[in-house]
Amino acid sequence: MSRDTARGWGFVAPALLWTLAFFVVPFVVMGAMSLATLERREVVWGLSLANYAELAEKAYLWRAVLVSLEITLTVTVVSVVLAYPLAWIIAFRVPKRWQRLALLLAILPFWTSYVVRSYAWLLVLAREGVVNQTLMNIGLIAEPITLANTRFATITGFVHFFVMLLTLTIYANLVQLSPNYRRAAMDLGANAFQTFRHVILPLTLPGIVTGAFLTFVLCIGDYVTPQILGGNTELTVPQVIMVQLGRRADFPLAAALAIVLMGIVTMAYLACARWLRLDRI
Amino acid sequence: MTRLPALLLCSTALTATAAAAQEELNALVWCDHTDPALIEPFEQAHNVKVNLREYEGTGAALALLDQSRPGDWDVLVIDGIDVFRAVEAGILAPLDGVSTEDFFPEVVMAENNSVDGVMYAVTEKFGYNTISYNADKVDPADMESLATAWSDKYQGRISIYDYYLPVMGLAAIAGGIPTAEIGADDMEAIGGTLSAMRGNAASVAGVVAAQTALATGEVDIVVGGGEWLTAVLAGDQPNLTWTIPAEGAVRWAQSIGVVAGTEKPDLAKEFVKYIVSPEGQARLATSSCFWGMPANAKAGEFLTDEQKAVLRWDNQPDYLARTQLYPAPDADLDVEMQDLWLETLQQ
Amino acid sequence: MRALPWAYLIAAFVFIYLPVGALVLFSFQAGGLPVPPFEGPSLRWYAEITGDRDLMEALGNSLLVALGSSFVAVVLGFLAAYGLARHVLPGSALIRGLLIAPLTVSYLIVGLGLLIVLTRTGVGLSLVTAGIGHVVINLPLAFAIIYASMGAQQQNAERAARDLGAGEAQVIWLVTVPMLAPAIAAAFFLSVTLSWDEFIIAFLLTRFDVTLPVEIWSLLRSGLSPRLNAIGSLVFLVSVTVVLILEILIFRRKS
Repeated sequence: MSRDTARGWGFVAPALLWTLAFFVVPFVVMGAMSLATLERREVVWGLSLANYAELAEKAYLWRAVLVSLEITLTVTVVSVVLAYPLAWIIAFRVPKRWQRLALLLAILPFWTSYVVRSYAWLLVLAREGVVNQTLMNIGLIAEPITLANTRFATITGFVHFFVMLLTLTIYANLVQLSPNYRRAAMDLGANAFQTFRHVILPLTLPGIVTGAFLTFVLCIGDYVTPQILGGNTELTVPQVIMVQLGRRADFPLAAALAIVLMGIVTMAYLACARWLRLDRI
Repeated sequence: MTRLPALLLCSTALTATAAAAQEELNALVWCDHTDPALIEPFEQAHNVKVNLREYEGTGAALALLDQSRPGDWDVLVIDGIDVFRAVEAGILAPLDGVSTEDFFPEVVMAENNSVDGVMYAVTEKFGYNTISYNADKVDPADMESLATAWSDKYQGRISIYDYYLPVMGLAAIAGGIPTAEIGADDMEAIGGTLSAMRGNAASVAGVVAAQTALATGEVDIVVGGGEWLTAVLAGDQPNLTWTIPAEGAVRWAQSIGVVAGTEKPDLAKEFVKYIVSPEGQARLATSSCFWGMPANAKAGEFLTDEQKAVLRWDNQPDYLARTQLYPAPDADLDVEMQDLWLETLQQ
Repeated sequence: MRALPWAYLIAAFVFIYLPVGALVLFSFQAGGLPVPPFEGPSLRWYAEITGDRDLMEALGNSLLVALGSSFVAVVLGFLAAYGLARHVLPGSALIRGLLIAPLTVSYLIVGLGLLIVLTRTGVGLSLVTAGIGHVVINLPLAFAIIYASMGAQQQNAERAARDLGAGEAQVIWLVTVPMLAPAIAAAFFLSVTLSWDEFIIAFLLTRFDVTLPVEIWSLLRSGLSPRLNAIGSLVFLVSVTVVLILEILIFRRKS
């Protein structure tokens, strides 16, 4: 090993050891835990697939996987679709000197406490909350509609958070584009839509996909938002994991559910690996 | 920029050592014990710092205690029906010299708090899981029977309290099954009632979600509610109330005991004694997290008339006679009940 | 047609500020419940939360965990980025992948894994264990941000310094760190933000001393009250002030 390489290892070692000790090792132990079983509150280590079998057998477990997937995919798509125009308007319509301010305003609520933000949505969406009152005042609805404690509420809470996050990442991508691309496309006779479709969108795709992937990861693993807003009429995987931990202390089953969650994220990763630029955030 | 965090880290290390000098008591408790109005008098009287950790669910507490070293914990507050589980796991130490003489006789529950004739815990607080409702929006007469409380008439206006034991207890009572006798054979009947209840419910809610839903008119009935749910709302919205229907309802009770292996058995016992003393009981009954009846009847001398009215002090003999403790399943039945519960939620 | 973007901008801002507005408005509620009708302005809930010992302790704990864990994450991230960018290492792509990997894992899983290992090795839970968890989630971000900004420009300056006889430690401290200051500051700031607001890892890995999100979670379970609005508004106010100060400082320096 050359001296240069040895020194290089010296620099990388602390971070690497930290990641190994507090991320890789726990992850491996959790994998082993998912193969253990719980007998009279004692964890019995072994190589049993009982927890995974239980997952297939018990409807509320596999349904939780479906619920999580449905919510997460909806949130990811809706957030991207809502955030892109917002980032676009800030990048190309708002005058240069106001752009930073507009962007800052768009992400400022990010700094309210995450737990409190979900709770605030509960108040806004309540039967006598702001949304219902406004809709009734402008005559769109005659009777208040149930918004809180539903999947709609969970999705709204999530979308609110991720629109802010995605607006930031997409904006960063858009302003990096040289205006020459747009000009060139226009000169060649493309209309605004064609320019977007064939020039801007492909160029910003890696940024969008990276943002969408992070949205997916953060959303599918989140416990707070569905727990506060979802009304518990359907449970997501993190909620079921917390039930296993809190009420039963069934670590093996919780670990198996976590591994399944991990599997889903890995599939999502593979699906968008082509465009992902995680080390270039 | 780099010096500040380092400085902060040093100062924490210092304060941590300074704090260790004072004697400490570590208690694993329910949220009502975290009220400074309850804890500070004890801390001052004994010059001790009480460290409190809240938990939800006996399973979590037992797991936490299993994995701790002896001496890590001194006091445990636990669901009255689960005392025997903690004793089986060797977590509670025998408790003697704590008098229950002044307690409401129905809540002494010696059979729950002792194993093989040895007492391990004492009851400290109790209340009811029953029907909370908005008197302006529903017919109060309908709330006097479990059969009508969650009937189709109130479809979409019901929230179910998110804890399987009391709600399944209510379902059992509605079907004429005594909660103490619930067995695996009853799951089908209870599941049917639960399913009907769920079909008419708008949500399954924790404490705040249920309160928000009631206070904003999202729902008008909370199945599994009680004084602990509506007491804090009553000041602003007196129309939110609760009742115990004709069939009866479920009674909850929490117990307190000393953890086996504690290095401060005397101080821990003093803490238990303080909590069940009339003064401690009055503070616990009206603590900030949730209100509930004190086990010690003498606490009445330290409660105001308004507080007693909210707790419905004078109705207790009647309520105690008509309610049953909530189900205390063994490990296998417990898993079955939880599965049935989650299955019904997800339907 | 021209008005359309502006209408969208306004609609988006209404959506973004809807919960914050309701939160702040009802933190001034005179009555006991944070629901309509609004009964008139009052500061009683602010007085109550600032007098709440547990809440203020949790606030201090959060600050400590956020600053401490971000400091560790940024130092480790910087060293690793420097090592990978300036030295030839076999399997460097693999190392980069490993360092970035926690980014693709849900916080819940990171927390659960650590909980299982820590409780089984007899390490007691505390603010330190929560901090360890926060370093795990922030290290990849700190590494990625700093690594991305290590370009040829700094390398030339480093080489020049080395030619003038500076040792590696001197080069790093006097050349690399100052040149990368914006990236390092950005990484630190992002880490602090994420740690400050992180719930699930702190929830699973703390014992008596908890962070603010965990304390708020307990409050949330203990009953509906405008106290929650007040604490939320206060956190928002403080964070926004910090963000604005940073923004103005950095913005001024740039222009």
